[in-house]
Amino acid sequence: MVFLNGTMTANASAAITGFSARVVKNGAYGFASSADYTADSVAEVVRSATENAVFLDAKEKLGRGSFARVPAIVRADGLDFEEKTAQKRIIEFMGEIDAYVAAHCPKLVSRFSAASCLSMEKLLRTSDGVCSHSLTPRSIVAVGLTAMANDGAPVDLYEPFGDFGSFEQVFTDPSQLHAQIDDLYEQLMRKCEGVYAEAGNKQAILHPDLAGILAHEAVGHTVEADFVQSGSIAGPCFGKQVASELVTLVDYAHTALGKRCPVPVYVDDEGTIAEDAVIIENGILKGYMHNKESAAHFGHKPQGNARAFSFSDEPLIRMRNTCIVPGRDKLEDMIASIDDGYYFTKTGNGQADATGEFMFGVNMGYEIKNGKLGRALRDTTIAGMAFDVLKTVDMLSDDLSWSCSGMCGKKQMIPVGMGGPAIKLRINVGGR
Amino acid sequence: MDCRKTAEEILNAIRAAGADMGECSVAAGNTTEIYYESGKISMVRSVISHGASIKVIKDQKKGSVTINTCDSEAIRTAVADAMSAAEHAPADEAEGIAELIENKSFASGKKEPDREKLYGLMREFLDTVKVEYPKISFDSVSVGHSYRESVYANTNGVCLETAEGENSFSAMFMAKEGEITSSFNSCGIVFSDDDMDTPLLERGMTRSLLAETEQQVTPETLTGKFEGDVIITPACLPDILYYAQSNFLADGCMIEGTSIWKDALETKVASDLLTWKSLPESDELVGSSKVSGDGYVARDMAIIENGVLKNFCLSRYGAAKTGKTRSANTQMCYVVDAGETKLADMIASVKNGLLLNRFSGGSPGANGDFSGVAKNSFLIKDGKIACSVSETMISGNIAALLKNISAVSAERVTDGATILPWVQVPGITISGK
Repeated sequence: MVFLNGTMTANASAAITGFSARVVKNGAYGFASSADYTADSVAEVVRSATENAVFLDAKEKLGRGSFARVPAIVRADGLDFEEKTAQKRIIEFMGEIDAYVAAHCPKLVSRFSAASCLSMEKLLRTSDGVCSHSLTPRSIVAVGLTAMANDGAPVDLYEPFGDFGSFEQVFTDPSQLHAQIDDLYEQLMRKCEGVYAEAGNKQAILHPDLAGILAHEAVGHTVEADFVQSGSIAGPCFGKQVASELVTLVDYAHTALGKRCPVPVYVDDEGTIAEDAVIIENGILKGYMHNKESAAHFGHKPQGNARAFSFSDEPLIRMRNTCIVPGRDKLEDMIASIDDGYYFTKTGNGQADATGEFMFGVNMGYEIKNGKLGRALRDTTIAGMAFDVLKTVDMLSDDLSWSCSGMCGKKQMIPVGMGGPAIKLRINVGGR
Repeated sequence: MDCRKTAEEILNAIRAAGADMGECSVAAGNTTEIYYESGKISMVRSVISHGASIKVIKDQKKGSVTINTCDSEAIRTAVADAMSAAEHAPADEAEGIAELIENKSFASGKKEPDREKLYGLMREFLDTVKVEYPKISFDSVSVGHSYRESVYANTNGVCLETAEGENSFSAMFMAKEGEITSSFNSCGIVFSDDDMDTPLLERGMTRSLLAETEQQVTPETLTGKFEGDVIITPACLPDILYYAQSNFLADGCMIEGTSIWKDALETKVASDLLTWKSLPESDELVGSSKVSGDGYVARDMAIIENGVLKNFCLSRYGAAKTGKTRSANTQMCYVVDAGETKLADMIASVKNGLLLNRFSGGSPGANGDFSGVAKNSFLIKDGKIACSVSETMISGNIAALLKNISAVSAERVTDGATILPWVQVPGITISGK
């Protein structure tokens, strides 16, 4: 649902259901799916998946053995969160948010607010006897503000708010977002008067939202085992120092530091019981993320990273809740320790590479001069080589913040959690 | 599923529910994919899909629902949900549906995949690359066929039908030398059922991208900052044009009023050398849609002609909201006219700059400012390709970039979705470590 300058430009809902079957024959996978959930279509899909596997096995003759059997289990997770919020309630809530922005953010030339609720219900059965029924709801409200800077350039800022749960459970009252909207507007006003960052390699502090995307994009993708097998930088670095010894990075399954993660996964889509995957421990690269096949290839234990988004998607090796573990420093001490650098606070998007080279768009930040925050920044981009940059980390804040609106694109889109503390490091800045 | 019958049933349900007007898009199809990852052809995948999207308008208030269970009960429930959503929505005078201009049917391609042929193309590609480009390591390769029947219908009597089959190929790859790895690169091609014999390696820029990736295993890191010429390749140009479309021409920025081109129709916004069109009717562009999502036959249009802005990219709603004319299409069937400069001469003219194969950057700001990493790119020094580069960033402004184009190549490349040349732009900030 989208409000743009007071007009509702999107008022839509979707209910998409279906089923799929995957079979493996001597290492060749056959997959088929259908939106029709009838006895006839089930038979057709199983026949088609089997026929696909037989076709590929005959062509490729991979000759691989079966995976070790896993114990049969029956699980149900998150089903108590099944609570559909009426469209009327969301429309009224978003109408109030739009009205608040219109009334309290006077210098805008444009505003938008959007609500996005995604609820994924899955029933998984495997030939090993795994039966898992899960529900993963997530609700996001995003606010975007645009104002004109004195130089005539439109300047914008965007912030998503949200959490695990139905809309009703996450957003009880529009007033709970008022302070955050006020803060966003205040930041936008400062950004209108902001300066362009200076290009070059700089000392910087990344806000936890950027630390989370650093964990996901710059490190996470390079340690997905399929990417390792293709030749990512993480292959030859296994067991080696890839970061400052202050850095520990974990892909949490469902619970981190005693709290539920934004995208909890209890059983993955191959039937593996999900557990935390420790990727970097005290700066040493200790693990990869696996499906059953890659775990067998590397001789590691699968930890539940095989995930599919839609019923028509096959499971791929995916992240879940990837996070740099907090340290012991205070943010104010970290800022005070920098004579000339930047504090980057909001990111728009990010991309990574097999080499570990990464890039994030930065939508908000501040200069740091002589240990104090200075002028705001216009949009810029930061980049670097992940394992080089992580070796420069010398301070980590003692708090943990999760970004819960992440969608990761790797053949299929899928919701992910990204988190971390504020981190201090050296990084390339793509300013003017 | 019979798409036409389902569409009629939905329209009847919309009328019965008391909507002032309504529309639906109903689609059914199948996809077959052969997939390579982790060193082997690992999977054959078949997907049977269908679904419908429904929009109702009552008292200028809109509600939309998408379903993929399309029996009579599901349709009645979906229309009731859409009516309920509309009831609680604010009114918008710009809401509406397509007027009846012409009802047409389009058909192309085959319904069933030629799985043997697709497998053969994949196997031939992998075997050839292994011999000719031994450093290349694939992260994934996908070859597939998709067939889709669809019907757009509305209560004004519009009925537009399509039945389209097409093939696709995509690959993501890198080069390896011992433990050293290059940046990954990728390519994507769409091709018709009548064009199944051309090897995948010979399509689009596939061969040149593989060859260049092998040269990127040991890139150099630039130091310092300078302004230089950037030659944007056909692999990268769609991203730049898309930024211009979304930031300056499309519904969102035009309705918001943040487009810096909002009052620039028929004025000069780019170099005289740039003629940029979107051509969904072209037989050369297999990946285009013949019918727009809002119920019109998609027509060819010039976006920029000899540097002059000729059309925005507005849907019916965007046009109604801004008081401007609906665009002939809003797709990305980009075709840029060839110029007169040979690519070799273009490279020879650059004293200090980059051959830009991929841009990895944040979405440009509303004013078009951009910055990001030059990926899979080469330093051009004194008219010659000097070396591949890493950790090299570029920054500039999309509108200024289009104005400053100094040369367009005579050579063009098609990937089935676009037909594009190389474009030379001076004055881009290039910075290293």
